[in-house]
Amino acid sequence: TAAPTNILSALGTIAPHRCYGHGVEMTRHMLNERVLLVLRLFDKINPDKLTLESQFAKDLGLDSLDHVELIMAVEDEFGFEIPDQDAERLRSPEDIVQYLCDKLDVFD
Amino acid sequence: MTSPPPQLRSQVIALYKNLLYMGRDYPKGYAYFRDRLKSVFLKNSGVKDPDQIKVLIGRGEFVIKELEALYMLRKYRALKHRYYEKDEATTSATTSSSDKKAPTKTQ
Repeated sequence: TAAPTNILSALGTIAPHRCYGHGVEMTRHMLNERVLLVLRLFDKINPDKLTLESQFAKDLGLDSLDHVELIMAVEDEFGFEIPDQDAERLRSPEDIVQYLCDKLDVFD
Repeated sequence: MTSPPPQLRSQVIALYKNLLYMGRDYPKGYAYFRDRLKSVFLKNSGVKDPDQIKVLIGRGEFVIKELEALYMLRKYRALKHRYYEKDEATTSATTSSSDKKAPTKTQ
């Protein structure tokens, strides 16, 4: 459903985004920021220990069920489903960012 | 003791994911549902026998069906409450003679 962009900007709360057009141009840096934000908001993760290289199971102490929930949060943020076989290979934020770059064609 | 085949593990993970999706609309709240779901899964995490695991997966799928039924009933009741006045004719027509013993059950 395409809404007229001038009404949306008058509301001020929603960024105008034309559906079925190109999405926002994404860089790897932006992906890093978004993924780290999603992870920081996840309540089972301690935000102080979180870096791009920290391993979910080893450094952040998450078990496989928390991992499922975390991947669900990433799916919600980026709007597409990640199949379970791919999801089990994603063991650190770095892996997630790399996977998203592959899926979203971000080449930086 | 033989370790369970990996496809059972992926079935369990898929079941957990589906239950989490269903739990988003749970009346008592997502966090409540998720904490209890996690503790149940962790309690059974030591099970190694494949047949036992299949039984537990079956139980999980049954819970999904029950949640679907719960949500459908909740939608039905919400719409009925919004659009229909409760009057004598409807109440007497829709309650059977067995319900008359516990009239509060129809609400």
